[in-house]
Amino acid sequence: MEKVKISFKLNGENVTVETPPNKRLLDLLREDFELTSVKEGCGEGECGACTVILNNEAVTSCTVLAPQVDNCEVVTVEGLGKDGELDKLQEKFIEEGAVQCGYCTPGMLLSAKALLEKNPHPSRDEIKTAIEGNLCRCTGYKKIVDAIEASIEE
Amino acid sequence: MLVRGKGIGCMWYGIGNTGLPNPAAAFVKVHIDGSVTVLAGCADIGQGSDTVLSQIVAETLGVTFDKVYIKSGDTEATPEGGATSASRQTYISGNACHFAALEAKENIVKVASEILKCDEEEVVLINNTAYKNGCEDKTITYKEIMLGLKSRGLLAIGKGQFNPSASALVENMQGIPYATYAFATHIAEVEVNTETGEVTVLKIVAAHDVGKAINKKNVEGQIEGGCLMGMGFALSEKLIINNGHMKNPDFNSYIIQTAQDMPEIYPIIVEEESGEGPFGAKGVGEPALIPAAPAIINAIYDAIGIRFTHLPLTADVVLDAIKKKEETK
Amino acid sequence: MKEFNVIGKNVIKKDAVDKVLGKAKFAADMKLPNMLVAGVKRSEVPSGKVININAEKAKKVPGVVSVLTYKDIPGENIIGIINKDEPILVEDKIRRIGDAIAIVAAEDESTLEKALELIEVEIEETQGVFTIEDALKEDSPKVHGDTNILAEKILKRGDVDAAFKKCDVIVENEYSTPVIAHMFIEPEATLANYEEGIITFYSSTQNPHYDRGEVARMLGITLNRVRSVQATTGGGFGGKLDISTQCHTALLAFYTNRPIKMVRSREESMKVSSKRHPHYMKFKTGATKDGKILATDVELLQDTGAYGSYGLAVITRSMVHAQGPYEIPNVRIRAKMVYTNNPMSGAMRGFGVPQVAIGHEGQMDALAEKLGIDPVEIRTKNCFQTGSVTATGQKLVDSIGIYETIKKAADKAEQIMDKEGK
Repeated sequence: MEKVKISFKLNGENVTVETPPNKRLLDLLREDFELTSVKEGCGEGECGACTVILNNEAVTSCTVLAPQVDNCEVVTVEGLGKDGELDKLQEKFIEEGAVQCGYCTPGMLLSAKALLEKNPHPSRDEIKTAIEGNLCRCTGYKKIVDAIEASIEE
Repeated sequence: MLVRGKGIGCMWYGIGNTGLPNPAAAFVKVHIDGSVTVLAGCADIGQGSDTVLSQIVAETLGVTFDKVYIKSGDTEATPEGGATSASRQTYISGNACHFAALEAKENIVKVASEILKCDEEEVVLINNTAYKNGCEDKTITYKEIMLGLKSRGLLAIGKGQFNPSASALVENMQGIPYATYAFATHIAEVEVNTETGEVTVLKIVAAHDVGKAINKKNVEGQIEGGCLMGMGFALSEKLIINNGHMKNPDFNSYIIQTAQDMPEIYPIIVEEESGEGPFGAKGVGEPALIPAAPAIINAIYDAIGIRFTHLPLTADVVLDAIKKKEETK
Repeated sequence: MKEFNVIGKNVIKKDAVDKVLGKAKFAADMKLPNMLVAGVKRSEVPSGKVININAEKAKKVPGVVSVLTYKDIPGENIIGIINKDEPILVEDKIRRIGDAIAIVAAEDESTLEKALELIEVEIEETQGVFTIEDALKEDSPKVHGDTNILAEKILKRGDVDAAFKKCDVIVENEYSTPVIAHMFIEPEATLANYEEGIITFYSSTQNPHYDRGEVARMLGITLNRVRSVQATTGGGFGGKLDISTQCHTALLAFYTNRPIKMVRSREESMKVSSKRHPHYMKFKTGATKDGKILATDVELLQDTGAYGSYGLAVITRSMVHAQGPYEIPNVRIRAKMVYTNNPMSGAMRGFGVPQVAIGHEGQMDALAEKLGIDPVEIRTKNCFQTGSVTATGQKLVDSIGIYETIKKAADKAEQIMDKEGK
């Protein structure tokens, strides 16, 4: 299959890559950029483990094709935090005990980040709505919601 | 109409394999700089056993948590820990790590007593230091003790193993299946929509006797996760199998709980210490799930007077039962 | 109470930093130079006989490096955590949808998919058994050997029949619980490598030492030649206690001398990983009019599907716990676990106890209602205390916190529920 050339901003850096047009964004990030924080849980956009921020929106990267991000901006967990410091959300996830197996964690962080960028003071219900597409089988969500809440109160 | 009800569910749970040997082992080494390596077979699957085992070793040796590095679940490096199942790892691998740390501590205490010029029984090890009991102002560091070991040609290493004192179940299944049991009670409050049959869980109070909570946040995390898995068991989860064919093998049609379903959860930790457990600890992983579904079913009865006995209680099932009940009135 | 320095403290979880940074390596995230990807050709029928496997076309696809069947297993072709009854690769008998027939290693995913499609498997479909009732019929097809009963057990203490005659109230109910899936978010995966006579594999697993044993027996080599490493594991809940991708990847690595990675899709994971045993339960429980339970009589039927997995642990544990956390002097628990051609049931968080708890807790409330006493009261009145004797004859000596949990939960519920509730 003929490859297409795409350019986009990935975690703040301009990148250009040649990719088969039917390659999923999930695979592009994991294989071509070795960003293995982006996890595959279902391949059908149901579990949210592969969530990334695409032009300020949280999306499941398994349902996006690579050419669709041409000229766009993509953020993964590797792009959170600055100068080697943890993002406040990451800090609070650790402090509040929101991390168990960790497989949903990157996607969960990015859904929360996308919410906070748009709505810096969300209610508890708004937080729950923002992460309802991110499934977690370990925590019961409570400490995740607590962590997101704690990251805004300060 | 929205009707509320409240219900209770209780459980008991034997820690470890039923009436069978299920040992675990660990190695502990204290290094010359006072840092510690733990080698334990126990697989951490996210529940936090690496953390809990490190806490047990740190407490036993009198070092801070950050000094402990744990390597787990590698057959070339770690002794057997048995399965991460049966809510057994805190209790069984926890004891193995505790005993390994105690053995590693023997030479440390011996040398510390020589440096501090006191009896071994008088040595207090805490926060990477040691002092003679009652003389807290005269401390020596762990590093000093370890150099003392070096100059005497001694090492601080330990092995530990533990197998719970259970016995085989013989005639009519009589015997001692488990050395210790965890206990729990959940009370759930639900709201039933009598027009749609939909059940919303509003609150769950979850009291768990875990023996001793080595790590409170980890215990709460297990309880909260268990509550939501229990809600799924009661209300939504069912694999449809038709002549061996699975009809819903995906997240789209097999419904687990989302953040939107989360009720207010109130974990209560009860600590009835177990004589054999490490620092009195038992287990919580599976107990966390068990009482939630019965509490929800009993709460639904309290709300609408229908006693359900076949799971799951999806909205259509509940609505059908409500209609049947109205018809027979 | 003794003061602790580290115990009981909320320290930073050892794995949390790597996990929030996305640096924790799950098996699917790992790779090695020259690595191949692998997959499994599986049965699409629940019951049958393999007549012929033809992999010639698949082998000819450029980029396909290895196609293996049961004939290529140098050691034993049988696994199982308690009773060994599951072939690593089917020899002749198909027992469920998803039985592994052949495995393929290829240079990339699309070549792998093509090869799997090109493997021709001729199967003569046979009549299967799909319900416990059918499985128990004398003339039913047998999933293994000459009976579909994996286990039949009785737990007995006291005399339930005599005790029921002394009861003022008796409640009888039937209960059932469905097949449940673990739904860990990370599907199973393994990366295996064979180097210098040592087979090493990194897996998503709950029991690396068990995995080592099964791989060693399959390859016919000693345990010290096998290194099993648990990769960061994305949840398990009992569903990663069985062998998943370990044996298949190890076998391919052994033959190809190249690193092999196998990652299950969600659908594959759902179809072939173990499930919670569905239970069909009858409970008969009797008490005196002052609310003391005298007897409970329980019958359990459990479907373990095509293979035993952890079934033998589930039947025993469910029976031992079926009385609930209550002191009952007369107990009889009878249970049967059967094979069918349904998906395999095994370990899932609670090993049969969540199922029987639906029964014993339903009974407690039904009894309370009949007796006109409060559901909390009937529980505090009957719950275990120090010195209580269980149905297995065990005297409980310490750490019996059930009463305390009931009281504390009831007190808290009183505070937070009754005000806003009904």
